Amino acid sequence: MNNPVINAVAARKRLIGFVILIIFFAFIPAWVKSPYYIDLVIMVMINAGLAMTFVMMLRTGLISLAVAAFWGIGAYASAMLAMHAHLSFWACLPLSVVITALVALIAGYVIIRSAGFTFVIMTTVIGMLFVVAVGNIGSMGGYNGVSSIPAPDTLNFGALGKVVFDSKVDFFYLGLIIFVVIILVINAFYSSWAGRAWNAIGLNPRLAQSMGVNVFRYRLTSFVVGCALAGLLGSFYAHYQTFIIPTAFNLFPKTIYIQVFAVLGGVGFATLGPIVGAAALSFFNEAFSGYPQWAIIIVGALVLVVVVFLPKGLLSLWEVPGRIRGWRQAQAIKRGAEAIPDAVEPLGLDTEGGER
Amino acid sequence: MSNADGITKTPVRALLDIKDLTVYYGKALALSRVSLQVNEGEIVSIVGANGAGKTTCIRTISGSKQSAAGQISFGGTRIDRMPAYDVVKLGVVQVPAGRQIFQLMSVLDNLMVGAHRRKDKAGIKRDLESVYEHFPILREKKNQNGGELSGGQQQMLAVGRALMADPKILLMDEPSIGLSPILVAEVGKIIREINRERGISILLVEQNARLALRLSSRAYILENGRIALCGDCKDLIDNDEVKRLYLGGGAKK
Repeated sequence: MNNPVINAVAARKRLIGFVILIIFFAFIPAWVKSPYYIDLVIMVMINAGLAMTFVMMLRTGLISLAVAAFWGIGAYASAMLAMHAHLSFWACLPLSVVITALVALIAGYVIIRSAGFTFVIMTTVIGMLFVVAVGNIGSMGGYNGVSSIPAPDTLNFGALGKVVFDSKVDFFYLGLIIFVVIILVINAFYSSWAGRAWNAIGLNPRLAQSMGVNVFRYRLTSFVVGCALAGLLGSFYAHYQTFIIPTAFNLFPKTIYIQVFAVLGGVGFATLGPIVGAAALSFFNEAFSGYPQWAIIIVGALVLVVVVFLPKGLLSLWEVPGRIRGWRQAQAIKRGAEAIPDAVEPLGLDTEGGER
Repeated sequence: MSNADGITKTPVRALLDIKDLTVYYGKALALSRVSLQVNEGEIVSIVGANGAGKTTCIRTISGSKQSAAGQISFGGTRIDRMPAYDVVKLGVVQVPAGRQIFQLMSVLDNLMVGAHRRKDKAGIKRDLESVYEHFPILREKKNQNGGELSGGQQQMLAVGRALMADPKILLMDEPSIGLSPILVAEVGKIIREINRERGISILLVEQNARLALRLSSRAYILENGRIALCGDCKDLIDNDEVKRLYLGGGAKK
């Protein structure tokens, strides 16, 4: 996997694109009336959000296979608080984030010491253990899951009116707000000192350490933030679906799909990559939904094609013309034809501020 | 050597003081009872062939490698057993060999990683300016990825990044390696400038003995993990054995 990096300047530039994207999202219910497709877009937002947390942890060299599990911890925490403690969704939401973060902090403290292979294995264990554990606790619904999780309480804005949460569109906008919050939080981290340290760790942990970066602490930060954001999405998911079962949060296929979203869009693109990946895969799945037995094979093949021919993801499509041009120039040189002047750069010793 | 400061500290203590340092890689002995000192404002070199233990020395001082015995103190504080990221905070900063920079990060971000442990925003800004003044090319290319720079520029970036950490001592690991003769001279000039203008002590590890002996005031000759010779560079240059083994017997030039 190539090492993904965003620098602060690029992140700021990307913010403009992000605003356009959110405005586009906000108008979706105006065009799309079918609740079925609204639901699809909500799931794309949840999946994209989860893939973003995966990419964020990946930046520091942590390949987490427990993304779905922490999503599930958020969902179950929120559902349990609502069902047993009779708390409102508006209290459950922040509380479930705190609970997920605490679990991530404790788990992370133990397993991040040895990033790399051991970390992958340990998160795999967490990912599988979560389903088994919840499935075997009767008071948490067991494998039958939890049903009739209450919808968010009506929000009363007085003179401005109120939001009742009785239609998909209401949930769509709630989901969009959470989605925006996640993107903002992630980008705030990326363009801060922490983000710079994450990039440095992802590129070369040993060098980062010798430059004064406490690798363990910054990895732990990214893990806790990533898991907490997954928990936030989990809480929203639980109250939106009103029904959750443990197997929905399983490592296979959920976490694998999350990784596919990230890789498909391009792990080098922290926010847009997961959105494009999740949207593209939903679109493929939708397009082949008439042939469910073929869908997974075709989608798998498409993913393979992208990984082989566009290793930086779908978003690197725009680089293709340039790459073809470069290849042509190289071919021309090989044939001994007139080399295109700027195709071969001298191996410059331009120390005195030579221009590119 | 300690020219300017006439203050008589009761026991004259070196800024960096290494005593009987012993380091193993697994069972292989890499450094054996190495002792060396660097005083404030001094350039000291460690000269040796491949595998003599030069890089091990730097890695151990900077906390990336654990020592088996001996002690390292910096300004009176023991720094062996201290994690690498805390050693940086004290002002012991390394410029690693082979122009190790963060290839896929912008030049500016590379420099700012150097300042990671600092809180003084004004100081960081001032140091960034001064790095840009030393290396104008870095200002010009600040938004480009580090990997897009030429070899010499990458070496300057590595030095600039270390300067951003507000170092008291720089540990430079083979800054001349893989550079053309013109650039080697340039690097030498830069090292001298850093030392003179900012009073930063420098521990220079070099295979290029000629460069090292010309730049520094004192040198240690490392052979198979042991210090074979040490002394003032003036004397070492005239030493027959050093001439034969490290300076090529005057065949060149």
